[in-house]
Amino acid sequence: MSLRPFLVVLVVLPALYLDFLAYESGSTWVALGLLIIIGLGAYVYLDNRLEAYRYLFPGLIGFGLFVIFPLLYTVGVSLTRYSSSHLLPYERALSLFQQETFSNGGSVYNYKLLLQPDAGFLLYLEEDKNSARRFISEPFELSAKPSGPGEAPVKVSVFAEGATPPGQPLALAQITRQKLYLPLRNRHFLLPDGTLIALEGLQKFTARQRLWKINADGSLTNLQDGSMVRPDFKQGCFVNQKGERVGVGFRAFSGFENYAQIITDPRIQGPFLKIFLWTILFSALSVAGGLAIGMFLAVLLEWKELRFRNVYRTLLILPYAVPSVLSILIFKGLFNQEFGAVNEFLRALHLFAPDWETDPWGSRGMILLVNLWLGYPYMMLVCTGMLKSVPSAIYEASAVDGSNPLKDFFRLTLPLVFPPLAPLLVASFAFNFNNFTLIYLLTAGGPRMVGGGIAGETDLLVTYTFNLAFRDSGTNYGLASAIATLLFFIVGTLAWLNLRLSARKVTA
Amino acid sequence: MTTWPRRRPGVVGPQLKLKLRKALAHICLISIITLVLIPFVMVAIASLRKGQFPPSALLVKPDQLSLEHWQFVLGIPCRELVNPATGETRVIQASPSPLLWLWNSVLVSGCSSLGIILLSGTAAYAFARMRFKFRGSILRALLILQMFPAVLCLIAYYVLLDYMGQHFRLIGLNTIPGLIAIYLAGISVNIWMIKGYFDTVPASMEESARIDGASQFQTFVRILLPMSAPIFAVVFILSFIYAMSEYPVASVVLQTSDTWTLAVGANSFLYEQEKLWGTFSALAVLGGLPITIVFLLCQKFVVSGMTSGAVKE
Repeated sequence: MSLRPFLVVLVVLPALYLDFLAYESGSTWVALGLLIIIGLGAYVYLDNRLEAYRYLFPGLIGFGLFVIFPLLYTVGVSLTRYSSSHLLPYERALSLFQQETFSNGGSVYNYKLLLQPDAGFLLYLEEDKNSARRFISEPFELSAKPSGPGEAPVKVSVFAEGATPPGQPLALAQITRQKLYLPLRNRHFLLPDGTLIALEGLQKFTARQRLWKINADGSLTNLQDGSMVRPDFKQGCFVNQKGERVGVGFRAFSGFENYAQIITDPRIQGPFLKIFLWTILFSALSVAGGLAIGMFLAVLLEWKELRFRNVYRTLLILPYAVPSVLSILIFKGLFNQEFGAVNEFLRALHLFAPDWETDPWGSRGMILLVNLWLGYPYMMLVCTGMLKSVPSAIYEASAVDGSNPLKDFFRLTLPLVFPPLAPLLVASFAFNFNNFTLIYLLTAGGPRMVGGGIAGETDLLVTYTFNLAFRDSGTNYGLASAIATLLFFIVGTLAWLNLRLSARKVTA
Repeated sequence: MTTWPRRRPGVVGPQLKLKLRKALAHICLISIITLVLIPFVMVAIASLRKGQFPPSALLVKPDQLSLEHWQFVLGIPCRELVNPATGETRVIQASPSPLLWLWNSVLVSGCSSLGIILLSGTAAYAFARMRFKFRGSILRALLILQMFPAVLCLIAYYVLLDYMGQHFRLIGLNTIPGLIAIYLAGISVNIWMIKGYFDTVPASMEESARIDGASQFQTFVRILLPMSAPIFAVVFILSFIYAMSEYPVASVVLQTSDTWTLAVGANSFLYEQEKLWGTFSALAVLGGLPITIVFLLCQKFVVSGMTSGAVKE
């Protein structure tokens, strides 16, 4: 009797409960997805023919959730209009319209705001013309945060005659001083007869009516002036009869518009091309420079007759051992234009002190220098491993011919070592292609590109994309996702190349 | 230094040539190492120097030395001079203590590295020892898909964690488990690395254990795992360092200073307007030193694992 079925049940039952909770909260698709995963899991762990997948299941689920789903989501967003001016989904944008009301000249009510002991509020209302009509609301809260769209109106019921309303009534001065009228103004109250009322000015509540009527074809009619507004799903906003935008925009499917924008819009195309070229240059120089220094050091340290080799090696690995975030920030201080150690040193020697922060090529040079410092130890470690596998017999043969170490290296060592290094070099290129942390912490992309919007002279494609999505007010998730998708294809190709190169190594 | 032998000028013997070369090599190595070490020395000095100076000095006068930054970083209340003219001081104490960030970092890195070992170890076992449909395709897909930089998934991570947080307060935005969950996804390179190691372990022992009646899972846990301890150490250390240094995802997911990791916290001392270099330096030394020492101690392990576990099928 195996223990496995019990274990499966032990995991599946809570998972099903969670799934039920997700379904209850209205997210049907998520619940369905989760249900499929649970079913798949139960099947994999109960069917004996699927033993291999049992070992894969947890890893692949995690991978699916945090790598594949975000990837697909990003590709999905890249096909939509989704930016700071098209932030809400259509339903939320529509509900904002539904919330709008206007005063229809009905009854006017005096009010008292009653503070309750639990810091909540009650609203007491008395009709202006007929003080016998009195109402009391359900308890509600007034937070400084603007009430979200689609918030239901607070229900109000008839208040018995003669009774005193509970709680402490606030004077008008208190309401204005604490700015309570601001959240109060955003609240609607529903009378028992179905009339909506809301605060008008500071003193009175008036009967109000919904401003927009939703028609069967999806258009909206303004009941106050009779104008019509309809949603434009291509533009992602509501437009009136004259074609002008009304209200907030919403997310909308836009096809390949974001991609087209990268190619055709001069405000994006110009910086994009420049950044693309710099990204390639940066990655290529980083890999080449790192390899040159790393290989040189590795060869030196493989020289058996050299003393203190182990001490040297340990000290040389240091930049790789220290968390790179810290070293990058340290270099930010060292390269400070006015007070940094680098320029102080150069000035002391009466040499030219470059503008590391304001000159485009100065800051590019700084980035490359720092990246060499950070990157050579990895190359050195990898090259050392490769050099160890070179048989020493080949050097003995060439020594007879009267060769020198330099010739030996380029004629014998390099051709042997390069093929197995190639996939690692491609991987290193791909890593630097997306070296977000270095650029973001060292220069944040600066100095700004003239006429390039938020693009900076040292921005890589990743940092540019990040800035497009998360920085400043003009966030444009759609465009950022489109560039991210392009980036993925570039890097994916590199990864594929990497695999091809290493496959050749195995067959050779 | 080598002594200059008396010989006819212009003719250099092979012995001397070798000595010259060695001297040149030593000079080369020492000058590079000096360049490598200077920044670290400067940071250590800056953390002990009075006032908020960027790391720029190799020497300070003894009267400029102070432990104020260390006190601040360790969460010990200390006096700060407010007005030099009147000598007025006030007591300051870090809130939350930067030690909390270090603890958060260790927690995130430790948990995510353990999780990564668990997930990638089991998956690597299946890839190394079993034959099943789509084996090669899944292996390749894992590697290519992982190339998508995590920074660019931030929008999706944000949505995902926000949603999970609504149902499950524990794994949401601004929580440490949420960040750990994201880091756990970085398994594919490690799967390749561990699989590469498993491939070098001969399967004969496991096969004979199977014949003696052990189950597949038993042979995995009892035979293969103990033999593969070195590669797991490598994966643990490399994942640990990765999680310690990760900045972008952590800075978006963790929003309040009590959940920050070391990387986010350290950067927070360097605002655009006011850069607290002294405090930053103390935190950098405090957080960077233990990791560096552990890495250097395990150096042999890590290096051999990195080069032998290089991607191969």
